[in-house]
Amino acid sequence: MRYKLLTVDDSKTVRIIVRKAFKGFDCEILEAVNGVEGLAIAAKTMPDIILLDVTMPVMDGVEMLTKLKSDPGLKAIPVMMLTAEGGRENVLRIAKIGVRDYIVKPFKEEVLVEKCGRIIDLKPLNEGAAKSRSIFDPADILVVEDKPAIIQQIQSGLKHTPWKIRGVASQGEGLDVCSKGSPDLILISLSLPDDGAFTLFRLLRANPRTKHTPIFALMVKTETEQQQEAQTVGFSAMITKPIDPGELESKIAKAMNLDTSQRYFSLESDCLVMRLPENSSASVLAEASIYLKPKLTATVDAGFNKVVIDIQPLKSLHMGVIKILFQAMQLCRELTLHYALVGNAQIIAECKGFEDTRTWTFHESVDDAKASLAKSAPPTPVAQLAEVS
Amino acid sequence: MPVVVEITESVIRQNIERAITEVFRTMIRAESSLMTAGETFAAPDYAPLEPHRPQVVGTVGFIGSANGLIYLYFDLAFARFCTCQLTGMTEGELEENGDEVINDAIGELTNMTVGTFKNALCDAGYPCKLTIPSIVRGTNFSIEPIGAATRHIFNFNCAGHLIVADILLERDE
Repeated sequence: MRYKLLTVDDSKTVRIIVRKAFKGFDCEILEAVNGVEGLAIAAKTMPDIILLDVTMPVMDGVEMLTKLKSDPGLKAIPVMMLTAEGGRENVLRIAKIGVRDYIVKPFKEEVLVEKCGRIIDLKPLNEGAAKSRSIFDPADILVVEDKPAIIQQIQSGLKHTPWKIRGVASQGEGLDVCSKGSPDLILISLSLPDDGAFTLFRLLRANPRTKHTPIFALMVKTETEQQQEAQTVGFSAMITKPIDPGELESKIAKAMNLDTSQRYFSLESDCLVMRLPENSSASVLAEASIYLKPKLTATVDAGFNKVVIDIQPLKSLHMGVIKILFQAMQLCRELTLHYALVGNAQIIAECKGFEDTRTWTFHESVDDAKASLAKSAPPTPVAQLAEVS
Repeated sequence: MPVVVEITESVIRQNIERAITEVFRTMIRAESSLMTAGETFAAPDYAPLEPHRPQVVGTVGFIGSANGLIYLYFDLAFARFCTCQLTGMTEGELEENGDEVINDAIGELTNMTVGTFKNALCDAGYPCKLTIPSIVRGTNFSIEPIGAATRHIFNFNCAGHLIVADILLERDE
């Protein structure tokens, strides 16, 4: 849901600052230059929040607020005063008419956003786009850890990814980084002194910029009490030390809702290539199998009819791999897709040892498999079209 | 009801010093300091506010138990800098948008400064309200108060630029 925020201020400068402050959030900014315009726009658009100045020509903010609160259709709209008109008595008098908050100018943009975030559930703009982000897209990951060796381990373990891993040693530095930008994911060590991890977590959750950012807890496995507390307060995931980079990468991808299908599937000319990585652990195979049916279906839908199943990178065969290969071949047959297998000497030899896999035929390279498919399978409609043109 | 504090020269100085410091630190991210009598700028690029140079002057009044008017004088170059800082515009964008944006930005800075100044008066027992800002700009002009007002002038060094606060207060009858 896209929130509507109405700023009523005779100063164009303030309206520009408001627009600037909410630039990174999924909300629409509406503008009015005085109370009369403000009431008209409020009635027409029913904004989710109104930021209201006091001193304005034509109709001032107090009059607009009074009229708004006496209108049954508009009185529920939350109003936050944003004005240079302060002083205890003034503030109390205006607050009595019915305002949700009161900011006296001068003001910091962060404070404005933070206070609005308490009234409406502001979401950063990139959150909606996260679904379409892939594992090969850059991302900004912040690690708040007082032990430099752990930061180095994480940086080294994820160095093959396009992610930028930034490490800071304290809660204050973490907050500073988050005030300047919005990391895509934050890892906080529970070993920060004085319960710093939990304080930082609460502060980040109170800030609309980081309210929805996945936050992981880094901990030692035996610290069960801390682990329980982290789960209770709502950390997105737990990462235990010593850190397993594969597990961390997988959890990060999941938390950021990244499309990881490109790890296993790629369309190469008129052929879908399914490739299992060297480390095809249970979690990797589970992830690959999620994409299996949609990718094969999409291949047919796009007008292609060839699939290469490449398990060359694997060092050995195990039941999980056999199971997913059976599943893939079965789906290919159901969808009338022509497929070919590619394996290395070790895998081919291991397949000969199992009753169910003995008859499988392998090619030595993806190119060989493609050439074989080109001979056996009829050309795809797309290829035919290309030939005609 | 708050205890009414007499509006002395010292109260005025404290209030305007706090107002200028707070507004320019928060909105422009620049530190300001009140200059003492006879103090000159150390900054080498300082260009003093001279009447023949282009100036932008913001004015906001306050009316109620205390009545007055504050003028804030800006050198045009500094007014442009403040506008860019406030709005996030580049010099090029500022050029495209014309003087109206600068006038509005200086009006708003003056509004915030006078607001902070007069809010302190409100809390000291002088309830009053702000008026709508206005702008005077040009070269070679001076603004003179009417006879019934007391005048206090303070110079501020804001990141190497001069800001002059000219405060006119209505005399008690």
